[in-house]
Formats: sequence, structure tokens, C-alpha cells
Amino acid sequence: MSDKHLSTQFDAELSAISNRVLEMGGLVESQVAQSVYALSQFSGETATQVLQHEERVNAMEVEIDADLSAIIARRQPTARDLRLLIAVSKTIANLERVGDEAARIARTVQRLINTGVSSRLRLPVADLGFEADLAIAQLRKALDAFARLDTAQALQVLKNDDQIDQEFDGLLRKLITYMMEDPRTISSSIDLVFVAKAIERVGDHAKNISEAVIYIVKGADVRHTSMSDVEDAIR
Amino acid sequence: MSTSTITLPDHPPPLKARSNNLDFYYGSFKALKGVSMPIYENKVTALIGPSGCGKSTYLRCFNRMHDLYPGNRYDGEIQLLPDAVNVLAKDVDPIEVRMRISMVFQKPNPFPKTIFENVAYGLRVRNEKSRSYVEDKVEAALKGAALWGEVRDRLDESGSNLSGGQQQRLCIARALATDPEIILFDEPTSALDPIATGSIEELIGELKHKVSILIVTHNMQQAARVSDHVAYMYLGELIEYGATRDIFMKPKRRETEDYITGRFG
Amino acid sequence: MAASQPGTAVPRTANLRALIRKHKRWDAAFGVVGVLSLMVGILTLAALFAGMAIDGIPRLTGDFFVNFPSRRAGQAGILSAWVGSILVMFVTALFAVPIGIAGAIYLEEYAKKNWFTDVIEINISNLAGVPSIVYGLLALGVFVYMFGFGQSILSAGLTLALLILPIVIVATREALRSIPQHIREGAYACGASQWQVVSHHLVPYGMPGILTGVIIGMARAIGETAPIITIGALTFIAFLPPVPGTGSPPAGLFDWLFSPFTVMPIQIFNWTSRPDPAFHQNAAAASFVLVIMTLGMNGLAIWLRYRLRKNIKW
Repeated sequence: MSDKHLSTQFDAELSAISNRVLEMGGLVESQVAQSVYALSQFSGETATQVLQHEERVNAMEVEIDADLSAIIARRQPTARDLRLLIAVSKTIANLERVGDEAARIARTVQRLINTGVSSRLRLPVADLGFEADLAIAQLRKALDAFARLDTAQALQVLKNDDQIDQEFDGLLRKLITYMMEDPRTISSSIDLVFVAKAIERVGDHAKNISEAVIYIVKGADVRHTSMSDVEDAIR
Repeated sequence: MSTSTITLPDHPPPLKARSNNLDFYYGSFKALKGVSMPIYENKVTALIGPSGCGKSTYLRCFNRMHDLYPGNRYDGEIQLLPDAVNVLAKDVDPIEVRMRISMVFQKPNPFPKTIFENVAYGLRVRNEKSRSYVEDKVEAALKGAALWGEVRDRLDESGSNLSGGQQQRLCIARALATDPEIILFDEPTSALDPIATGSIEELIGELKHKVSILIVTHNMQQAARVSDHVAYMYLGELIEYGATRDIFMKPKRRETEDYITGRFG
Repeated sequence: MAASQPGTAVPRTANLRALIRKHKRWDAAFGVVGVLSLMVGILTLAALFAGMAIDGIPRLTGDFFVNFPSRRAGQAGILSAWVGSILVMFVTALFAVPIGIAGAIYLEEYAKKNWFTDVIEINISNLAGVPSIVYGLLALGVFVYMFGFGQSILSAGLTLALLILPIVIVATREALRSIPQHIREGAYACGASQWQVVSHHLVPYGMPGILTGVIIGMARAIGETAPIITIGALTFIAFLPPVPGTGSPPAGLFDWLFSPFTVMPIQIFNWTSRPDPAFHQNAAAASFVLVIMTLGMNGLAIWLRYRLRKNIKW
């Protein structure tokens, strides 16, 4: 029993679409990294770049969805192939929103620069960087799990999601402290809260992508289930 | 013993028939190996699998078609419920079986007789004398086969003048006229164009409310569209049986998945 | 045919065209040979027929058909001959058709395929090649003497029935075989018994072929002379077999079967062997009538087959 279709064209189409997804994943990953870098360096240039690339992310979502529909129409996929294509559709939606989060962060950077805020204010930008690293790692792991259809890796992502949530809670408390200490920082602190929230959402999207991977491999929909249910499904 | 993966529904509907460990031999060649499978009442069960897997052989056991040719042997049983008759028993008359289980063939095969005579043939064979009874049954059967409107004014024309799709519906009417308990469909649309195929599939969806249906098809999309349960067979064995939705979304056996996704090779 | 080198100026199409032209010449040549052969056969037959017609047609008056044979050529007629032929054909059909059809149905549908059936099949094919005079001798011993039917229409009919039995059986089997298997299966699937399948489907759909076989057999039988002579048909019959109920004492229902008789070929043979040329003209006329009867039966077979075939499509 081979893993290849009798139609090599179908195989080629499925590989192509998976590769496009990974390409898009790489792009949004760098978008997030770039936007957080822009924030840490207060670099208006980098922020502008991120916003420019955002169009490319959106275009990719549309293109991949169109290819997806074409494959479904022509090939009438079943079972594993059907689950793959459904998962691809969900994954690119999640990736597109990750792109949106990165764009939001970049716009926040631009606004902070325009209102004259700079590193003279002691804002916990480094902590944000740490949260961002976690989130980017999660995203990378999720995309890796997708590439290799590795449910163990996907399970890891699901388990580590709590860490990001904890980081966010910690950041929120810190920012509240700053705001209480120095009311002049309220406006920018709130901006940073939104940035932290955006980064936390990136982690959520990584979690969604991992759930999709489990759906492809095991056919089990593990959204909104407990961790033990997920482990059962993977076994 | 068979190693079939059989998933029964959680709340199974009433059972119409079932095969228990059915073996079948063409001479010395064992074409069916221990096939055990339920056939539920008023449901469509589809048999799929590559050429030579035994699905048509299995189908034709139900109405003892193999008895027409020398050298065939059944081993095991097919129980017809509710009276639990073993259709394959030597002391059961094949003619009686065929009066309870009808068949529609791959190539439409209306007799070179009038449309009326075609549909009425099953009744004629039972020596049904009452003209009005026969006429009523013929009309009901043609309506059941969605053909009445097209032929009501030409019942005494030859059945062979109809188009392919109409001929097949005529054969379905012929099968219906005797109120069978099960209708066997042996690749009923492989000789028809897509529109005729669509009308037959539509018809099967309606017919199942009156009879139980067992259909052999090599068109997987058709099996997915038309059936409630699917059995995948390979080399005379039942590999997997389950609800259509499960088989086509999440088959349990690797062999089944390879076949339905076209990776078979 | 010289192979063209790659890159030469002579295109391969030109070579192909020459080849095709050569093939077409052969086609035409064959066509001519075929037509010529056909012409030889047809023209010979036509010439014979024309010669017979020219000699005989003037003699075809009304009383030629209603007169008995006579020593005077001008008064001789073929009444007893053509009546005898028709009666003998009737008896032949009466026996050959049911036995032949039933036998063929048994062999084709009921008999198990074993060595015994094979033996029967081989023998039937062989029977078609047995010289007709052998049938005559057999009939003489069995029908005329052993069963005591005498030299009668019954014996003649039975003899010719045996003669054409293989033709009927083979034609019926071919007709049955040409019925596609899916029609049989369709009938069985409706719950028909084997006999119902045979009587409702196989015989009706096979009728064109069966009838054709019967009529061709009869067309052969009408012209058979040797067996009839052997069992003793007489050459000078100046009376007709008794119609049931006539004469005194009144003839029985079956007396005509046991009556002496003559048939057309014998009458023709008789007249041909007389020295008087007037009788030769009679013979030509009678031959003409016999050929018309035979052609008529063959024409009937073709027409019947055409009519019946029209309704049968699968």
C-alpha cells in the first residue's frame, strides 16, 4: 500500500498546497518577529515594512483558498485528503489573523513613535519580547507539526499554550503597576496591553493549527476538549 | 475466520438480512471468504472494491443467480428476516427466493415485449389471472420507478424503444411490481449517461423507504451519494463495513482509506 | 519498398500514398474476381431456369394442374403430384417441427454438459451429412415393414422428417444461442422456472431462426427423390388420397395417411425418362412449378424472419 495516489498530479497538487501553507507560515512568523523587533527598537522603518508585507499575507490566504476549492471540485477528496484540505483552510485563516496581529503591533509602534513616546519611559518592552519569543516558538512548532504531520509535536504546542497565558497575565500586572505609579504612562501602557494581547492571540492561533494537525492525522476534532481527551485521541 | 472490521451503528435499525460466514466457490476457486455482514431494513447498503473483489459474486448469492451455472457452491448462510430463512439452503427453492428478492442488472435488459408485459412479467410468472389487479400493480410499479408519466400512453409499445435511462427504470419497475423485500442493484448506472445516472440515484433514494437495497458500484462517489452503509471488499474478503459518513471521512482500515482515496496500487 | 533516409527530401507521405494506391488496386481486383465468380453461379442457374421456363411455360394451362397423369402427354397433369407433395410436406412438418424444436431445447437448456451430451451432439451433426438414400433404406425397413405403415404418405412424411430433423435442431439451437444471456437472467430474476423461461422467452424470441430453419428444411424435403423412391412411391397415380368422410364406404379420418401417393420430383423423373418429347415438355413445366414452390418457401422464410426480427431488439 503506497502513500502516493494513482494520480501523480493529485499528489503534486496536495504537496504544492501544503508547501504554500508553510510558505505563508514562514512569512507571518517573520512578520511577528519583525513587528516585535520594531517595538523593541522603536523602529518606524521596520514597522512600515511589516505593514507593506501584510498585503502579501492577505493575498496568499485568498490564493490558497482558491486552489483549495479547485482541488475539492476536481478531485472529490475523501478521508485523509479531505481532512487535510479542511485543515488547510482553517490553518490559513489562522495564519492570516496572525498576520493581522503583527500588523496591529506595527501600527501601535507607529502610533507610539508619532506621539513621541520613546525609551525614556521605562516600559517592559523586554518582557514583551520574551512573550513574543514564546509565541513565535509555538507558531514554528505548530507549522513544523503540520509539515511532518506530527501529532506528538502538536500535543506539545497544546500543552505549552498555558505558558503564554501566564506570561500575558504577568505582563498585565506589571503594566497595571506602571500605570498606577506614573499616570503619564497610561496611554502607552494600554497600547502595550493590546500588543501583549495580540501576542497571546498568536499563541492561540498556533494552538488552533495544532488541533488541525491532529484532525488530519487522527480524524478527531479536539477543539474545546480537555487535555486528557486530546491524549486519548492521539494514542 | 475473517478479519473484517465491522462497525455497527449505535442504534441499529431493524435487520432485513445478514450473511454469516459466507464462502463461495466457482469450481475450486474460492471467490468469497467468510463474509459476514448485516443488511438493514429500508437502508441502502453499498458494496465497493476493485475488480475481482467479489462484490458482484456476493450480490448474486442473495437471489441464487449462481444456481443457473454449473460448478458453483455456497458454504455458509444468508438469513432473510423476519422468518430467518436461509436463502442458500438446499431445500429452499431458488424461485421462491427470487420472488422475495429482485434484481436490476448492469446493462438494462427489458424483454422484447411491450412495456406492460415487461412490468407485469413477475406477476405473470405467479399465474396472476386478474387483469385489473395486474393493471393496478403495473401502474403502481411504473409510478414507483418514476416512469409512469412518460409511458402511460404507450404501454403496448415495445420496451426496447425507450432510451437507456428509461429502459433501466423499466427494469426497476419490473423488479418492483412483485413487492420484493430486497432489491439487488448490480452496477445499475455504469451503462448510462450522467443525467440518467442522476435520475436512477434519485430513485434509489426514494425506493429505500419501501424496500431494502443492496447495490454494487465501482463508482465511489455514487456509493458516497446514495448509500447509508458501505462495505469494502478485497479479494473475496470483507475488509471494512460501516456507516457511509464514517467510511468516507474516517475509515478505520488503511486498506479502505487507500482504496477510497485512490492510493490503491 | 526502399526506406527513406532521415532528412531526405522524399517525404514519407509519398511512399505511404503509393502503398495505399497499390492496396486499392488489389481491392478492386478482388472485387472483380468476386463478382465474376458470383456471375458464373448465377448465370448458370439463370440459364437452366430460363431453359426450363421456355420449354415449360406454354404447357402451364389450368388443366395441367388439375389433371391426373395420363399416357397421352397432352392430357397429363400434376394433380396427384402436387397434392401428394403438399400432404407429405404436411406430415413431415408435423413430426419434424415439434421433435426438432423440443430436442434442440433439451440439448441447449436442459442437458448437462457431459460426454453423453457430446455424443448426441456429434451424432446430430453427422446425420445432416448422411446420403438421403440411406434414409430411404432405413425407412423401408422400419416404417414400411417393421411398423407396417406400408408404402404410404405416412412413411414418406416420417422419412423426410428424419432427414430434415438435423436441420431443424441445428437452426433452433443457433436461434436459442443467439438470445443473450442477460435476457435469460432477467427472466430468472423475476422468479421464472426453467420451463417458463423457455416458453415465455426463448421460443418466442427464437422464432425467426426456428422458422427459418424449418422452412429451409422443408424446401429441401420437397425436392428429395431418392428416399421417396426407395420406400416405394408410385409413378402413375391417377387418384387422390381419400378425403375423410367421402366415398363408399366413407373413408376414415386417417385413411389418407396410409394411401399410396406420388410427389412432384417423382412425376418429373418419370416424365423425363419417357422417349416422347411432349413428356419432356411436361417435365419442364412440372420442374418450373417445383422450383417456384421451392423459391416461394425460401422467400416465405426470408419474409417471416424479417417481420419477426423487427420486434426483437436487445
